[in-house]
Amino acid sequence: MSAPAEPTLPAPYRIVGRRQDSADVFTWTVEPLGEHAPTFLPGQFNMLYAYGIGEVPVSISSAAAGEPLLHTIRAVGSVTRPMAALPVGTVIGLRGPYGTAWPLADAEGGDLVIVAGGLGLAPLRPAILGALARRAQFGRLCVLYGTRGPADVLFADQLAVWRARGNVELRVTVDRATPDWTGEVGVVTRLIARAGFDPARTTAFVCGPEIMMRFAGEALLRRGVPAPRIHLSLERNMKCAVGYCGHCQLGPHFICRDGPVLAWPRLAGLLDVAEL
Amino acid sequence: MTLRELVENQRFCQGLSGGQCEGLAACASERRFTAGEYLLRQHTVADTFYLVLEGEVQIKLSLPGQGTVTLETIGPDEAVGWSWFAPPYRCQFDALAVAPTRTLAFDAGLLRALMERDPAVGYAVLKALVATLSERVQSCRLQVLDVYAPPTTQR
Repeated sequence: MSAPAEPTLPAPYRIVGRRQDSADVFTWTVEPLGEHAPTFLPGQFNMLYAYGIGEVPVSISSAAAGEPLLHTIRAVGSVTRPMAALPVGTVIGLRGPYGTAWPLADAEGGDLVIVAGGLGLAPLRPAILGALARRAQFGRLCVLYGTRGPADVLFADQLAVWRARGNVELRVTVDRATPDWTGEVGVVTRLIARAGFDPARTTAFVCGPEIMMRFAGEALLRRGVPAPRIHLSLERNMKCAVGYCGHCQLGPHFICRDGPVLAWPRLAGLLDVAEL
Repeated sequence: MTLRELVENQRFCQGLSGGQCEGLAACASERRFTAGEYLLRQHTVADTFYLVLEGEVQIKLSLPGQGTVTLETIGPDEAVGWSWFAPPYRCQFDALAVAPTRTLAFDAGLLRALMERDPAVGYAVLKALVATLSERVQSCRLQVLDVYAPPTTQR
């Protein structure tokens, strides 16, 4: 999706596929009805408009090339819950892509550590696929994923494929284990100390609940990853998505325009503020 | 690698001097566990403190009527057990090796005696232990927060 001429005008897209990823998370495959060519960078988001219901920002979860356009959505509010009930074939409005991207090219030549929490794996998926597509350009590639429980693990089939590749250190942990869970248990930040990477030459991409990202960032700093090489993807109340309305303001940043991906130094102090 | 070298290489012992590590090594032996073997059992005497060299250990708790719940996974370069440090010296949880696991096993009685005898060693070990406990408590708090629960304010 190259930037549309009219940035606030949705283009019609059809839902051509729907996959239930967990009890409250689903993934849509969408296709443009017109000539709205789908090109984007990993980490960017689109505004999805369910006609008559409302519009929400949703990260793009597909590969930047070679996959249909995917959006992974959590049915959690007044817009996303009705969205979950829309059948395949429904036409929705889509505008975008918006925002900053994961600096994948800057990470080349060193180790790449991906830290995902819960639904945060979705916007990181394009970055992981991008890194895997150019695997030789990176040193160690660590994917550290934490979620609530075994039933909440997203993209389980994909995780199995990544694990089978052998050139990715994939660690999956859950906060609350069930008796049949054989993987790791504990918060995702604990995995940062265990993963095999060279901190001084590492770039880290982090996405998940804000409190998890704060602790993950601090754990990466403690491990020795340089602050400018730690990138977080923030979520705020994006409305216009083009930096006009200010609903998504975080300190000096409009997250829709200056983010969602921001380097740690630009967020110094902002993640500690109770209401911002 | 000698026991002293193994001790010195542990993150837990980073703040200790060479001599202090030598003292700790005198309390330690290398111990291996197969998958399915317990390092610690709840309600038993906490007579050993472990540093994991290789492998994976699960901290578990039996809940009456609900089976056993895994609370946390411990990996290489991490500590297992702190009930050995304070009375009544009873393990509160199970520690189960879920993969072939190699450890440095410290005799708790010898270690406590060393810490009493040499307060500098005692303080150094206590600082390392508190750092470990702090990390675990912080993780535990994040777990309790249930940060992945559905937010109430989203569209």
